[in-house]
Amino acid sequence: MKHSVNRPPTPDKDDAAEGFEKDEVTLREIINVKLVESGEKENLMELVRDRLVECGWKDEMRIACREHVKKKGRKDVTVDELIRVITPKGRASVPDSVKAELLNRIQNFIVSAALCV
Amino acid sequence: MSGADGNKSSQTELSSQVFLDLVDSVIADVASECHRVARLGLDRDLEVVEEELRLSVEARAKVADPSNNLETNTKFVVDIFGQTHPPVASEVFNCMNCGRQIVAGRFAPHLEKCMGKGRKARAKATRSTTAAQNRYARHSPNPRYSPYPNSVSENQLASGSPGVAGEDCTVRENVKGG
Repeated sequence: MKHSVNRPPTPDKDDAAEGFEKDEVTLREIINVKLVESGEKENLMELVRDRLVECGWKDEMRIACREHVKKKGRKDVTVDELIRVITPKGRASVPDSVKAELLNRIQNFIVSAALCV
Repeated sequence: MSGADGNKSSQTELSSQVFLDLVDSVIADVASECHRVARLGLDRDLEVVEEELRLSVEARAKVADPSNNLETNTKFVVDIFGQTHPPVASEVFNCMNCGRQIVAGRFAPHLEKCMGKGRKARAKATRSTTAAQNRYARHSPNPRYSPYPNSVSENQLASGSPGVAGEDCTVRENVKGG
């Protein structure tokens, strides 16, 4: 058998894949940085918090937390545990209107950021 | 980024990512707040409150029972009529010696002071009795009335005794003579 059989695959494909992923990650990072720098992230956070409190989502999450605390006992609970417990439910139960509004604003920002770049 | 569609899809994906990041931050905030409340025991749920109430009631009952046993034996004895007698008598009446109003529970210590077991009262009494006895000594033989072995009264005895001895002598002489 030729040793070339065991040769690792050509780096071109990997490079491209990695490059693509890297691009995505870097793109995300870039957008993140732009959000923070322009102060838009702060605005978005405030908007998200307000909307989620208004629609009662936060109260639902707090009830879920309390349920979990009751089960596990007050002293044994950790923050990580609580986050792990409520994240799937939280992500799923965001009202559509809130999600739409937020996505709209984010997309507008990305577009304007892309244009500025 | 290839075509417009690719751009859009990646864009939507990107914005979804950003949105999820925001939601995760809010979730972390809520979890942290609930964790704090839970650990500090601030926000009590009804069940928790009820359970803690029950526990505290039980604890209080346990504490109350042994103390009840002790107290019923010593202080607050309940007799067959259901009456309780407080440990210190509280009736007020007049002292027959000095005429003051005394609480019954404090009558014994008051009598000590009033009738002369105390130092000051003794001095007062002997001073008054010494004066009385001196008066008597001048006029008539001392009937040897000094109930307290005080230095003053001893002196009194010393002063009185020659007289008495003298009397005895006279009595003896009389006996001898007679």
